[in-house]
Amino acid sequence: MPYTAEISRANPTCFVFLVDQSASMSDPIGGEEPQRKADVVADAINRLLTELSVKCAKEEGVRDYFHVAMIGYGATVASAYGGALAGRDLVPLSEVADNPARSENRTKKVSDGAGGLVETSVTFPVWMDPVARNGTPMCRALSYAEQLVSRWLAEHPGCFPPIVLNLTDGEANDGDPTGPAAAIHAQSSADGPVLLFNLHVSDGGGTPVTFPDSDDALPDAYARQLFAMSSPLPAHMRSYAAQLGYTVGDATRGFVYNAEITSLIEFLDIGTRATDLR
Amino acid sequence: MRASVAVFSTHKDGGAAADYEDAATFRPSVPDDTEVPGENISVAVADGASESLLAGRWARLLVGEFAEAEPLLDGERFAATAARAAARWPGVYDAYVDERRDRGKPITWYEEPGLARGAYATLLVAHFAESGMWNAAALGDSCLFQVREERLLSAFPLDTAAAFGTQPHLLNSRNVDEELIAAKTTLIDGRWEQEDVFFLCTDALAAWFLLGSESGRNPWTTLRDLGTDAIPCPFEDWVAGERTAGRMRNDDVTLVRVHMW
Repeated sequence: MPYTAEISRANPTCFVFLVDQSASMSDPIGGEEPQRKADVVADAINRLLTELSVKCAKEEGVRDYFHVAMIGYGATVASAYGGALAGRDLVPLSEVADNPARSENRTKKVSDGAGGLVETSVTFPVWMDPVARNGTPMCRALSYAEQLVSRWLAEHPGCFPPIVLNLTDGEANDGDPTGPAAAIHAQSSADGPVLLFNLHVSDGGGTPVTFPDSDDALPDAYARQLFAMSSPLPAHMRSYAAQLGYTVGDATRGFVYNAEITSLIEFLDIGTRATDLR
Repeated sequence: MRASVAVFSTHKDGGAAADYEDAATFRPSVPDDTEVPGENISVAVADGASESLLAGRWARLLVGEFAEAEPLLDGERFAATAARAAARWPGVYDAYVDERRDRGKPITWYEEPGLARGAYATLLVAHFAESGMWNAAALGDSCLFQVREERLLSAFPLDTAAAFGTQPHLLNSRNVDEELIAAKTTLIDGRWEQEDVFFLCTDALAAWFLLGSESGRNPWTTLRDLGTDAIPCPFEDWVAGERTAGRMRNDDVTLVRVHMW
């Protein structure tokens, strides 16, 4: 059965984040408090890396269940890591966690234990700052990801299939990304084909959509194209998505339109989950 | 009552021995496979959850607390003992944080959320009495199997290989809600006879056992022979072989074997 390989230090897998850094990413989205798309995407990436690090944290370190690449595409297609990791592709997660470019203090509302909320200061690690310039070489970025996962698979043929997550506003200008996306899908480990998921950050309006099973509710051709490029969620991921309250079916895909995607980290199995009795 | 107990354990492949996060103990404490004196035997097995921090410490704290407790009668007593262990957790946690600070390795940002949530572990406790009665309580997927001659008499709390997953019930080190713990605890009791063998296993071995049983093999024969001339290799070598053959999931593995003479 595919997508059942363990993810462990003995059998790690890889995560490739592709980050759209084109000029159009400077456009604002959102209603009352508009944000630049580039800010939304940078925040999403930094949150994903934070959640992944916390998930794999043990005493005195993060375990290398994953190796992680963060590739930006805009003026160039290259590593988007800042700080000590600048210029690197796949980096063991422990190094990622220990080397954010910087850390910010942000405020977060948490329960006061008496039914109310209080603001508290939390550390927010930053690996990537927002960038928005030049074109959108998404095809080149997808091809770059394909090369990375291909090299990884040659060295880790029995791994849980690598995951490529593309965060974009959807408007490739170096061709039709469908072909390079298919080339990623064609890569596989003994446990199944590589997974390609997409987060579409758009000023096209419409209702936010998370893990849909059809493109009916999507507002434009770019969203529908990214939906079509996205892998179906494997069965265990659908199950976790359902537990989180998402409506899922057999055709549900790893695609999110103008919504949070951090829950993706919850779909990864690295052993017994720390869940409370209820 | 004449009985002997043996404990076998090994850590997950790809990690170090220090990464082992199961725990097991029995009372009265005597060397493995020697006669256990007294009228009662208590055994406790816990499996620290991979996705939590300090899980091994919590598992060890739990089995120590339960091994010293009075024989189980009901879920309420089980829950009260678990809550007593949880009451000791802040001391364990504070000592750990102090030790890290003193060593110049303070807690990092990625450890903070997990430490704040507390540690998680499954727990299985069994008591064997001279009267011929035994009882057990479980929270999670660590399992007990009772074998008589060549028959599997009891499989508790899970009885099929398909029942194992990644979200078993777990005891949290900050959970002192005795009512909730009691409600989620499952109980069993029965009678033992001379030459019965009980196997208490953490989940990877328990799943291996049930899959073997369902396939018509007699997995108890293998576990009974561990440490004898029939299977002279060390436990970790035997486990490594089963993992390599794809018959056992890669996880910390713990077995407590109780042989009633």
